Amino acid sequence: MAASVAGAHRLVRRWLFFGRLDALWMIRDLGSFAGYAFSEGLKVLAAIATMLLLSERFDGVGPWTQPQVVFLLGFAVTANGMIDDLFGYNVAYISRRIGRGQLDHVLMQPQPMPLTLLTEGFSPAAGLPVLGTGLLLLAWGIGGTAAPASPLWFALLALNLGASCVVILAFAYAVGSLAFWAPRAAEEINSSSWSLITQLRAFPLDGVRPALLGGLLSVVPAGFAAWYPCRALLGLDHWRPSVVVTPLAAVAFALVALWIFRTGMAHYLDTGSQRYLSYGHRR
Amino acid sequence: MATVASAAPLISLVGVWKTYRQRQRSESFFGQLRSLFRPEIKHVAALRGVDLTVARGEIVAYAGPNGAGKSTTVKLCAGLLAPTRGTVRVMGFDPVKERVRFVSRIGVVFGQRTELYWDLPVASSFEWKRVVWDVPRERYERMRGFVRELLALDDFFHTAPRELSLGQRMRADLGLALLHEPEILFLDEPTLGLDVLAKRNILSCIKDLNRERHLTVLVTSHDMAELEQLAGRIVMIHRGSIAFDGDFGRLRREAAARRVLTLETGGATAPSLNGAELVGSEGGRHEYVFDASRVTIAALLDQAAAQARVLDVETHQLPIDDVIAGIYERWLNDATRGSEDVAAGEVRPPRQQEARVAGQVQVGDGHQQDGE
Repeated sequence: MAASVAGAHRLVRRWLFFGRLDALWMIRDLGSFAGYAFSEGLKVLAAIATMLLLSERFDGVGPWTQPQVVFLLGFAVTANGMIDDLFGYNVAYISRRIGRGQLDHVLMQPQPMPLTLLTEGFSPAAGLPVLGTGLLLLAWGIGGTAAPASPLWFALLALNLGASCVVILAFAYAVGSLAFWAPRAAEEINSSSWSLITQLRAFPLDGVRPALLGGLLSVVPAGFAAWYPCRALLGLDHWRPSVVVTPLAAVAFALVALWIFRTGMAHYLDTGSQRYLSYGHRR
Repeated sequence: MATVASAAPLISLVGVWKTYRQRQRSESFFGQLRSLFRPEIKHVAALRGVDLTVARGEIVAYAGPNGAGKSTTVKLCAGLLAPTRGTVRVMGFDPVKERVRFVSRIGVVFGQRTELYWDLPVASSFEWKRVVWDVPRERYERMRGFVRELLALDDFFHTAPRELSLGQRMRADLGLALLHEPEILFLDEPTLGLDVLAKRNILSCIKDLNRERHLTVLVTSHDMAELEQLAGRIVMIHRGSIAFDGDFGRLRREAAARRVLTLETGGATAPSLNGAELVGSEGGRHEYVFDASRVTIAALLDQAAAQARVLDVETHQLPIDDVIAGIYERWLNDATRGSEDVAAGEVRPPRQQEARVAGQVQVGDGHQQDGE
């Protein structure tokens, strides 16, 4: 008990510190701040514009009404914002750290590696534009749908949002671990994997052939990034237990990713890093 | 150079091997295609049964040519690599298995890497260290004051590292590494790229730390003059084996009894001296290199006086850099000869136990290793 309290205290202490560091970085000069905020705004717009316009033009997409599509987009952008907030600074783009030999910096810190990865990327200020937009869209979507806005439902929403984040991160770590074995070739593989998830997550996948859908819920789990949990939360599949499918999937994906990453770490400790680039290590 | 050492070993490497796998590439298309499915792997030994102990309070210079295994050793000691065979113990810890507790008691500085936040003031990186290392506030305040004064950080403590010179940045990095009061400092090429003044500052700080706080230091560098200023003991590694372990004076005596003799004769023609090699001649000044253990200065002067009118004589030891360059050159020549006999990349059994005699420079007979 005492150990877990101490662990929680260390976690919060680090989050507070990295949050402050992030805010300092954001406001280091006005030009940088404006440029960053503008580029984040464009990123969000690019992620949702197509689907938003399609649902506006056709008053929804397939079985999804327009507010439900807005909810879906809000869910996707919020999950994205949560990851940006908690795992910024190339923690989510782990292939960059591995491929550039920067894990040495993590290993030199006197704390368990998960604690470093859980705290070092905490960037609430930098992630705020995306998270804020996501929450606004989510509120807009909830307002337009017949979602049962009870405390339990909001708790399930939070659980599913967290689970989606875990699935996306697990995919990133599983794919990014390739950089342990091919540092140069796979250094940017997480850029591609993130782009893949970002492009696919905003589509309602209803009506997609089972084989393809199976692939989108396993090999490239974009279906769990927004579509499946939203469908469950909005009651579109008429099967109540479906609200816990994404959390269960998150546990499974996390275990697989953990196994791959640990295998990669063992390889890293055996071979070391054959290259080192300082780029992106410290902002 | 005196260092403050006690007898208890703080760093202990026993029979340490580190072997890397290297995939062999074919120059032909079909060869490459075949290696996709049946790769040819070469095992390269970066370290071959290294035995090394460092006592508390020692400053040890760790030197060797490129690819000799210096950085590999530092990484093994810092817990960034696991040995293939053998035992690494630092302060009694297994650096890899007990990483978290271990790294809280060491400091590591790699010359070409920084732990500083690039766009934030140096002060923010110090705060980062305090939080992540869980340094108690009292110790943090005390050590921050100490390193700010020792390394003269005040002028740029509130400046972002991207606006600092390399020397200032290195001082800040060194200060950061010392903030939690480590017992051992590992420095890998800490003065790479620094100008003379910046180097002198860094070296002087490290010496002060050793003298005042009994800090144990393992430092690698290519700059022998710098290492000699800093360390009492030098360990030279060659092709993964320790080839010399002793003090600089012994290195000079045993590896290089070679001295420089300069004669001024007034004549353009240099006297021919048996036992000395003419290395330069300009304006009546003739420079020779000779082995003082084989021929005496008096004998050389007798020969010179018999051939020309000697106006002035000057003799001195070779600079340490030249001594080491001579050793590396001999190793390299020997490696070239040896490569005809030794299959490239073949991992050989440790020769160290049977061949190494502490304090003697040995000439290896294998190939140049990769792995750094």
